[in-house]
Parts: sequence; structure tokens; C-alpha cells
Amino acid sequence: MQIICISCHSYGYGKELAEKLASELSYDHIAREELADKATAYGIPVGKLETAILKQQLITEELSIEIERFKAFITAEICKRAKKGGVVYHGRMGHMVLQGLSNVLRIRAVANEGERINRVVKRMNLDRKQAKNYIDQVDEDRCRYTKFFYNVNCGDPTLFDISINSSHLSIENSVGALINLTHLKEFQPTPESNLKIEDLLLQAQCRLAIAEDSRTRAAKVDVKAFHGNVSLTYLPAFVKQAELIPQVLKKIENIKSLVCTMAATNILYIQERFNPEADTFNHLVEIAGKWNASVELIRLVHQIKEDKTIPLEEMDLKKISDGEINGGILDDTLEPEEDEKDKYGIPETFNRLIQVGRAGAVNTVYGGIQSLVNIVKSAKGNCLVVVGDVFLASGSASQKRMKRDLISLLSDQSRVPVISSDDLKEQYLFGPKQRIKTIIYALLSVLIFYIVFTYQKMILKFLSASDTEFKILAVIVVLISVPFAAYVISGFWHNILKFVKLE
Amino acid sequence: MGLEYFVDITWSTAAQVVMLGFIGGILSGFIGSGGAFFMTPGMMNLGVLGPVAVASNITHKFGKAMVGSKRHSELGNVDKKLSIFMLITAAIGIRIAVMLMKYMFEGNEGHNATKSAGADLYISLVFVVVLTIVSISMLRDINKSRKKIDKGPSRKIVEFLNKYKLRPLIYFPVADISVSLWVVLIVGLACGYLAGTIGVGGFIGVPAMIYVFGASASVAAGSELYLAMYMGAFGAINYAFEGLVDIRLTLLLFIGSLFGIYVGVYGTKVVKEVSIRLVTAIIILLCVISRFIAIPVYLQQLGFLDMDPANNDYFNFASKAMLYLSGISGGLLILYYVFKAYLHRRKIQASFSAKYPLTVKEKLAEENP
Repeated sequence: MQIICISCHSYGYGKELAEKLASELSYDHIAREELADKATAYGIPVGKLETAILKQQLITEELSIEIERFKAFITAEICKRAKKGGVVYHGRMGHMVLQGLSNVLRIRAVANEGERINRVVKRMNLDRKQAKNYIDQVDEDRCRYTKFFYNVNCGDPTLFDISINSSHLSIENSVGALINLTHLKEFQPTPESNLKIEDLLLQAQCRLAIAEDSRTRAAKVDVKAFHGNVSLTYLPAFVKQAELIPQVLKKIENIKSLVCTMAATNILYIQERFNPEADTFNHLVEIAGKWNASVELIRLVHQIKEDKTIPLEEMDLKKISDGEINGGILDDTLEPEEDEKDKYGIPETFNRLIQVGRAGAVNTVYGGIQSLVNIVKSAKGNCLVVVGDVFLASGSASQKRMKRDLISLLSDQSRVPVISSDDLKEQYLFGPKQRIKTIIYALLSVLIFYIVFTYQKMILKFLSASDTEFKILAVIVVLISVPFAAYVISGFWHNILKFVKLE
Repeated sequence: MGLEYFVDITWSTAAQVVMLGFIGGILSGFIGSGGAFFMTPGMMNLGVLGPVAVASNITHKFGKAMVGSKRHSELGNVDKKLSIFMLITAAIGIRIAVMLMKYMFEGNEGHNATKSAGADLYISLVFVVVLTIVSISMLRDINKSRKKIDKGPSRKIVEFLNKYKLRPLIYFPVADISVSLWVVLIVGLACGYLAGTIGVGGFIGVPAMIYVFGASASVAAGSELYLAMYMGAFGAINYAFEGLVDIRLTLLLFIGSLFGIYVGVYGTKVVKEVSIRLVTAIIILLCVISRFIAIPVYLQQLGFLDMDPANNDYFNFASKAMLYLSGISGGLLILYYVFKAYLHRRKIQASFSAKYPLTVKEKLAEENP
């Protein structure tokens, strides 16, 4: 089940490369255009979606559901073909729908502008200036599309494993080089990656089934699958449709269990080993209850044997070159612990989440920090990312440092707050510190009101004075006192609502 | 200015101002902007002179927006570049509004009520005209969107402007839109003028960012709040310089609004977007009717309408009743949605835990008996 995804410049030679590579490897080849036609025949308004994205029209609830459908359709098709042996996909960042799958070979095929212009001139009978403008417009559209569809920049080199330039390499030689690359350990299918493909296919099938049924079509739901267990979260506004979803999904085989959770938002909880009895986990559940959020468990597989003072961003490369870590690819057997009793506390923790109605999903991230960053960046509807105990194999000092660096890196990349599990209670729950703060805010509020209403005549007289000096002074007093009062009163209410769990 | 322009605040008045703040806060949190459309006329109905009501409200808005924009900023909903571009002309708009207001206020002679009548009439007329257009447009848009599959706001204006691409075009990274500088400046001017006149800049700012610029609703709300902070500060400076700010009213509004806003924001999490827009449009329309009813009183005070002054009390009462009806019914409706969603959530959660899930533990036990 090897998957190779090729993205290319417009009028580059990505298509030829993909076809030739697929033919040499005896893999199935799919082009994005083929999938778009199939999706349209299936009932997804692909043309309308593209127009809306390219013309920067507002994406309505219905269109956003169609986008999810289209993504699910692409995922299902790639996974189905991959299951048959292997697939080469040629399109716009197709690998982005395969989040969490570590053995995808991601190729960017580029070509010099001059060659691309020559191709357009030849194919479309345009002069060189027109051809250049045309190429620029198409590239801009493609970038807009990928930015919208996957929230990534099309020029970001970190999204690819290799970039191939046709201006220097012939197609034959490029294919030869790529075939060698496919033999690397990092791109080999493993039992774990095969399971992930099954999960991706299952969640795509569930998403499509929900959209196919007229009763549940309008529901905005997030579907995740982990080893055949499907978790489904939906917004409170779609309660009625969600009630019917288990019925709709009955026809899908391979669902081992189904968990439906109503949640207005989602919290990502990143750990290496979970414990449902831990205080941190209980705090998290309490916060999720207050915010009506689901909790998604993300197990970060990160094994490093020694403390090394290397920056986090460089860590993956360093580890691979040292041979310490397998580049996200496990040995060619099912993850050893899967066969043993130790499952890193995931079943027990997830079970606890189900019991309290806060189950989101379960995910395991292989492939180091960049894979984790990609997952956090691409996840939608999150309100908080909590980083728990990670880098357990490292020493205590480096564990702390690496965790701090990870939080900082995720904060830079994510639009939602990222905090350490150690700070959960202080930040979001009502503890002794908050009690003291509330009392201080209350006393300050009372003091402000006491002063203003006891000396109201004097204050009003001062604020409405006609002398210019007094007028300027009045402005300064208003500009200082009003934000201060707002801050104090807002802080008071905020803490009171925290206390009564009505946030 | 003198002390005679400020009302005596009794316990009853204070409670009513807090209540106005609370309902305004709920509406503000739920709708994403406004609240002032309820609080400004509400204070006027309590006997507060129009300019003082606007000044106190805009000062309150300054503090409230500062707290709110900080939160939105943490969530990545603020396009500071967009707000700052709009601010350039918004400041001019506010200054124009303040000058006009002062002219209206000082242009009349007589006791307080009569002296304020010109400014009150002017505020009421702007209020009625602008908000009637806003609410009717919203209702039309909702009605149209019910007939088609796409229920989002109309994109006609954005598409029209995109066609002409009036240069220079400015790119706003957070909102991810490119808009003509001239369009941004004109919308900023309108926002500033309305914020300075009726204290309701958001009702123009948020729809303009969505309908004219093409920004998403969350970025529009966040950026408008950031803009509101500066406009509020600028308005507060101007009105404080003129001695029109009643700081007591500002503080009382804070008590209610900073609490109500949390309830309103919660409501947006559980109610569909189209319902939010419908509730908003209806509340605005009822407020417009309330202000419309008060107009004959100001006309009579200015001598433009031959009406027995004794009837003024009836008009004032009817205006006040209509305003409270709109605010309280809107507030109750939102509270109803919030409560209903909460109960439904509990019910569904209970039913899910009973029906589904075949838990992982059970599943494992089944697989490995």
C-alpha cells in the first residue's frame, strides 16, 4: 500500500512524470481532474466549489459541507486504490488529505518559467506575454485553492519530501531517482501505515454516507477513525440530524464501535502515555465540560534515548542521520505494544471520555514534530491545545526544555492557545489564586463605585469644567479610569462565571 | 457645560441602567456588535440628554471593546491592518459627528429638554433611517437565503467591486482579502460618523466587512471590536473634552454589559447563523419603531408640530415601552435559545451514553473474552 503524491507547477511536467512513475512501478495512477469528474458525477458540485474559492466568494455552511465531502471523496479514492497495491496521485497537494499517514512520498515537480511559457505558447497559441500572464494567473489560483482547501502555502518546501526540476533532469532520470527513493525505509508501507489507510478510508466513507442521506446531509460533523473505532463530533445546532447518524452509518462495514459526542469545540490533548486517573486529565475533563468541548487524544510517538542539545526543528533530521529514530516508520511489524496489554492508557482514557460525554477522537502521530505541527495546523474547530507529558525517553531536564520548545513551536503555528498541562488548573479552573483575584476585583469595583457616587458632584463638575486645562485633565482621567474600571469589572465577572462553571 | 445637564441617579435609575447594560451586553455578545442601539435610547428614555447618553455610551464602548478585542486577538480574529486603515477616516467621521452634535445642542435656547430637542431629533432621525435600512436589508437577505441552497450573506457587492478593482488594492492578511483603499476609507468614515452620532458604529462596520469587503464573520467581529476600541477612545476623548461624559452611567453600564456579553457569546455557540441574523434584524426593527414613536415629542418641543405638550408623556411612555419590549424580548429569546440548547445537550448526552457507545473497553472485552 504505497502512496506517492505529486504536485507540480501549472504546465510543468507533473502529469508525464506521474504517469511514467506509475507505469514503471506498476501502480495505479490518478489525476486530480479524473477525481474531480468522478466527484461531479457522484453529486459533489466541484465546479461551483472551485469558482467560490477562486472568486473569493463567501463559503457558506452548505459549501463548507461540500468541501468536506470532496475531501472525503478524494481520500476514499486514493485509499481504495492504495489498498490494491500502490497509487501515484497527481494533483494539488493531495497528500494533505492523508494526514497522519507517515509513509507517503510527497514530490514537488517544478519547471523553469521559460519552459512552461513555451508549453503554453505551443498549446494555446498565445504570445509569450499573454502566456506568462496566463501562467501567473493559474499559479495564483492554485495557491489560493490549496490555501483555502488545506490552509497551507503552496510554496512551502517543508510540505514535500523532494523537489524535482525538469529543466535539468529528464523524465526518465527523474523517474529512476524517484524509484530509488521509494525503496527507502521511510516510504515503505508498514502494518501500522496499512491500518492508518484503513482508518482514513473508513472515516471518509462515514463522512460520505452522512452527506448522502438527505436527513443528515446538512449536519456539520467531524469524523475520526482509529483502528476501526469511529468517533464523531457534531455542533449543538445539529443535534436532530446527529441522532440519525448511527442509523445512517449502519450500512458501513468495518466499524468496530461508534461514539457520538456533541461539542461546540475541541481540545487537543498531546501526551505519550495517558492516565485517566491523573489530576491533569481530570482538570481537562472539567474544562471540556464547562466549554462543551470534546477531547481528542493525540499520542506523540517520540523515542529518543539520550539527551541531546539540538534545536527542536533540527531534531528529526539529526535523529534520522544518527539512526536513532526510524523517521516515523516503525519496524515492519505491527507496533509491538499493540500486541501487548500496554496500550499507553488510550482505551481507558478514551473510555472515561465516553462516560463523561466528551470523547473526541484518538490519533497517533509518528514522524516527529513536523507531523504533529501539520496535524495541529490542519485541525479545525479547536479551542485549545494541551501538551502533557512528552519526550519521556529523555532526561528530566531536557524533557522540560523540549516540551517548552514544542509549546512555543505549536503556539507559533497554531491560531489557538497552546499550554502545558501543568498550567491548566491555574489558567482555566477556579483555584485559590482565582479566589484571591476575585476578592481583589470585587473590592476594587466597590471602591470605584463608592468614590464615584460619594463624590459624584465634585467629579461631574471636574469632568464638565469649561477651562481648557481642566478639559484636558478630564480627558486624561477618563482615558485612564475607564479601561481600568472595565478591566476590574470584567475580571470580576470572568472569575465569578468560572466559579459557577458557566464560562 | 454644567451639572444641570446630568440626571440625578436614584437606586431605581441605577438599576434600570444596569439592566440596559445587561440586555445590551447580551445583544452585543450574541450579535457581535451593537448593544448601543438599545442602551443609547434606553438612557434617553430615562431622562438622560441625548448627547450625554451618546457620550457615556461611547466611553463605555471604549472600555468594553478594549477587553473584548484582547480576547479576540488571542483567538486570531483581529485583522489589525484592516482596522487601522478604517480608523484613519473613522476618526474624521467621529469628529464631524461631535461637531454636528455640539452645533445642534448649542443652537437651541431654553431649558434642558428644549435645548436638547434639536440634537435628540437629529440622533433619532439618523437612528431611524440607518437602522431601518440595515434591518430591512438583513430581513431581505434572510428571506432570499431561505429560498436558495446557500444560506450565507449576499456576495453581490463584493463581486461587483471585485469586477472593477478600484486601485490601489490593499491586501489584509488575517482576513485574507484584497480591498480597494477608497472603499475601506469610505466605510471607515461612515462607521466613525455613526459611532459618533448614535454610538452604533458596529452595525455598519461588521456588515460592511462581511458584505462589502468579503471578510468572514469571526474576523469581521474581531476587527470591528479592535476598531471600536480606537473609535471609542477617540469618541471618549472628544466628548470628555466637551464635558459630556457622565462617568456614573458608564460604570453602571459596565456592571450589566460585561456580564451580559458572556451570556450572549454562549448563545452564538448553540444557535444557527440564520437564526442569529433573524433575531438581530427583528430587535433592530423594534428599536427603530421605538425611536420613531419619540420623534413627535422632539418636533413638538422645537415647534415644528402643533401638539398638546401633555401628549408628550404618552409618546415617551410608548417609546420606552417599545424599546423595553424589543430589548427584553430579544434578551429573553436569546436566553431561551441558550437554555433550550443546554437542556437538549443534556438530554442527548444521556441518550447517547445509554444507546451508543459500545465503549472501547466493552469492545476489547468482547474481542478478548
